[in-house]
Amino acid sequence: MDVLELSGVRLTLDGNAGPVEILRGIDLSVKAGESLALIGPSGSGKSSLLMLMAGLEKATGGKVAALGQDLGAMDEDALARFRRGRMGVVFQSFHLIPTMTALENVAVPLEIAGVANAARLAAEELEAVGLGARKGHYPSQMSGGEQQRVALARASAGRPKLLLADEPTGNLDQANGAAIMDLLFGLRDRHGATLVMVTHAPELAERCDRVVRMADGRLA
Amino acid sequence: MRLAFTLALREMRGGLSGFRVLILCLTLGVAAIAAVGTLRAAIEAGLSDQGAVILGGDAQVSFTYRRADAEELAWIEANATAVSEVLTFRSLAVVGEDQALTQVKAVDDAWPLLGQVKLDQGTLAEAFATKEGKPGAVMEKLLADRLGLVPGDSFKLGLQEFRLGALMLSEPDSATAGIGFAPKTVVQSAALGASGLLAPGSMYDSHYRMVTQAPLGPLKTEAEAKFGEKGLDWTDRRNAARGVERFVDRLGSFLILVGLAGLAVGGVGVASAVRAWMERRVATIATLKVLGAEGGLVAQVYLVQVLAVVALGTGLGLALGAGAMMAVFPLIIAELPFPVTVGLYPQPLIEAAFYGIVTGMLFALWPLAQALRQGAAALYRGAGRLWPGKGWILVQVVLLLALVGGAVWFSGNWMLTLGTLGGVAAVLAVLWGAGWGLARVARRVARSRLVDGRPGLRLALAAIGGPRSEAMSVVLSLGLGLSVLAVVGQIDANFRLAIARDLPTRAPSFFFIDIQPDQTAPFLARMEEDPAVTKVESAAMLRGTLTQINGRPAKEVAGDHWVVRGDRGISLADAMPEGTEVTAGQWWPEGYSGPGQVSFAADEAAEIGLKLGDALVLNILGRDIPVTVTSFRKVDFSNAGMGFVMVVDKAALAGAPYTSIATVYAEPEAEATLLRDTARTWPNVTAISVKEAIAKVVEALTAIATATVAAAGAVLVVGLVVLVGAVASGVPLRLREASVLKVLGATRGRILGSFALRAAIMGAAAGLVAVGAGAVGGWAVLSLVMELPFVFEPWSALGVVSGGVLVTLVAGLIFAAVPLRARPAGVLRTVEG
Repeated sequence: MDVLELSGVRLTLDGNAGPVEILRGIDLSVKAGESLALIGPSGSGKSSLLMLMAGLEKATGGKVAALGQDLGAMDEDALARFRRGRMGVVFQSFHLIPTMTALENVAVPLEIAGVANAARLAAEELEAVGLGARKGHYPSQMSGGEQQRVALARASAGRPKLLLADEPTGNLDQANGAAIMDLLFGLRDRHGATLVMVTHAPELAERCDRVVRMADGRLA
Repeated sequence: MRLAFTLALREMRGGLSGFRVLILCLTLGVAAIAAVGTLRAAIEAGLSDQGAVILGGDAQVSFTYRRADAEELAWIEANATAVSEVLTFRSLAVVGEDQALTQVKAVDDAWPLLGQVKLDQGTLAEAFATKEGKPGAVMEKLLADRLGLVPGDSFKLGLQEFRLGALMLSEPDSATAGIGFAPKTVVQSAALGASGLLAPGSMYDSHYRMVTQAPLGPLKTEAEAKFGEKGLDWTDRRNAARGVERFVDRLGSFLILVGLAGLAVGGVGVASAVRAWMERRVATIATLKVLGAEGGLVAQVYLVQVLAVVALGTGLGLALGAGAMMAVFPLIIAELPFPVTVGLYPQPLIEAAFYGIVTGMLFALWPLAQALRQGAAALYRGAGRLWPGKGWILVQVVLLLALVGGAVWFSGNWMLTLGTLGGVAAVLAVLWGAGWGLARVARRVARSRLVDGRPGLRLALAAIGGPRSEAMSVVLSLGLGLSVLAVVGQIDANFRLAIARDLPTRAPSFFFIDIQPDQTAPFLARMEEDPAVTKVESAAMLRGTLTQINGRPAKEVAGDHWVVRGDRGISLADAMPEGTEVTAGQWWPEGYSGPGQVSFAADEAAEIGLKLGDALVLNILGRDIPVTVTSFRKVDFSNAGMGFVMVVDKAALAGAPYTSIATVYAEPEAEATLLRDTARTWPNVTAISVKEAIAKVVEALTAIATATVAAAGAVLVVGLVVLVGAVASGVPLRLREASVLKVLGATRGRILGSFALRAAIMGAAAGLVAVGAGAVGGWAVLSLVMELPFVFEPWSALGVVSGGVLVTLVAGLIFAAVPLRARPAGVLRTVEG
């Protein structure tokens, strides 16, 4: 069964100098349990494609379906509800909430989904990424690698079927980057999730089941 | 909702640093409104608590130029358990060659019915007692000091000599006369018989204070139905000090409107503070959306925070405003000419809280709603702002209507309120346009060859015209504050100009009143013979009320026009007085004795809608006199000369006891002699020094102007807070810009120059819009509200523009210190990391 199904997907954004075509007709499907790496030069549309898969951006043409649902037919709130417990997203720049501790950051998606014992489950996820001792620390008190581990714990806390990662090691040094990748693949294996990852690093892409190359808004 | 609270509290744990400007703006605006409202409530409560004492009875009926006739007196006595008659008029208190204008209060034995008179010595009866053939009198200390009198000394009122029995420290019914222009002397009416001051036609009022158990409403209706047409004027304890109340009401409304303008200025600060705060929360909002939070939950999380902060700002404002008034009350009570009941009043605080919360929410919701509308990816990307959703726009419209409706309701003057709010909206629109236009022009010029070789200028223009420019928030926040100041500046300058231009050159030296018919000819002869007298005008006059127009009650036809609001001076003439300019119709022939005719002031006739041939009824001393409008005249009321709305043919008023009034224009050095001479020859004639009266008016106007400037100053302080907030919010951007420029080789001097230049350009833009707003606003207030000519005053305008430039410059340079000091590596590392 396909977890992700994209057909004829286009994305045009309005810029100051006029509309910019980001994606120019993407056809792609990803099977359940598969790990897929999206690679390509900067500006080729990889991150935008990932945003469309997460329902964080609306396609201006074509169809994006995730876990059997047409994301284009949903409004902002429906998309937010849809992501709960189904999708986990990891960003290059972590996007932790600066006013919340590590534990609270991990607990937020569980609390939003109305999960009981959100704090206990979040603590377990933090233990799993090796940050059991940093629960009460704020993002500003942690290193980049630690912040990204919190982000990973947050993404996997809801046991998602689909993990989407946008250059998760892009802001990290080699050692931290390798550790994060180990954690990411470990989490994916533990929860049996499908993984789509944007990366510039060939060695990371090679760890995935399939590599898709993008150039100029198209699959190469 | 619980989750929203939890998330909101987590966000707010970090403190309120992003909200300082918002809280300060709301606190100051709400405090101003709460303080003014508390003062107004305290005065209203004072007037209402002590209504009967201030009035000197439960009710009062008054007549002009006459005492109550037998029928009226019988009705008054039948409806009261106790009655006291008080006569009031102006006269000169004379001691040898020295004299001073005084407001005389002639009372009977029953006075005061309520309350106590405080004297410096003895009882009132002792003070009034006749000793050595001189009846007693009491006098306010101010007047006694001026005439050098101490108790036991003698002075004259008219022809009657009095003994000063005691100094009057306070009287219970002082506020009924409003804010008087002369200090008081109280005597017993019986002692005035020989003074010659209460001759027929003399200008005096009689008041009958009644103590009564009867319900006041029906009693008033009955009195007005029976004697209203004969000139009866009713007051009761429910509105004892009408003049004062009107004054307090108007001043209160005006100050509340200034407060509203302040809140509008603060509102701009609220909006930009919330916008800056939301911009720092955009990534968090996006992340919450990524994690599955619906728009409703995100809205709740941020609404809780905005509401908490708005409530905090409003609460602080209420505490500050009410606290400040409680602290100030003891200092100002003695200065106020009316009673004040000190206390905390819920109504003005509710009013101020309403303004604070509604304004705060109105300005805070828009940026919040904009952020909610965006998708997560667009928020991360920093995409342009969208319009809020329809529901949010509806909420904004409802809030706006609530604010306008509330302002109209609370101020009780819809025209003034809507005018002010409309003016604020128009200025905001123009400032928004100016901010937008400035950015466009700056962008275009920055890219043109005009700035080739001037990197400092190019940098400044690029910063004004570029993305995330501060131009809009600086122009809006400073511009609105400066606009209020500019309007006030123009009004103030025009006021002072009008005083300086019109009065000293054209106003007469003296008004002489109460000249009896047999004294008129010798009086005028004495004046005309005097070489120091340059001009003398006189007119016979009496007072009367315009009661009917073409068979209908005058108030029904003319509404609330001042001409029908109570009694007016009416002149009578046979031949057309010299200098009269008839604009329509014809003056009656000399010696005319047919049906009554009246010549009406042209402007006032047009305002009321009178035409030639209209039939009027004038009530003069209780008698109805029918007259027909046969001409209109041009009358200038602005120069303190002689001006009557109505001049009636002499035959129509034959037998009515009139006196003459004269205006005398004399050389300033001859004024004292003239005054002494007339007082000696005609003791019953009262001279009013126009110079002194004008000095009092100028004093009052200056006080009003000072209060207005102070209020506008408060608005400007709010504007400054907003400006500082706007400039402060741009610090991170300038920090990064300065660091990059240093990397590229720019010296600190050049960077500072660029910062200064952009501040000056933005300040000048705000100042120029403010000057335009000042001219239009000043014209509107002067021409439409005060009916004064408007002249654009360039110095005040120049002050506003240079003030705008200077203030922005100073604020910009103060906040430039951090970016200039910072080491580029540290800044850039943080930005990149």
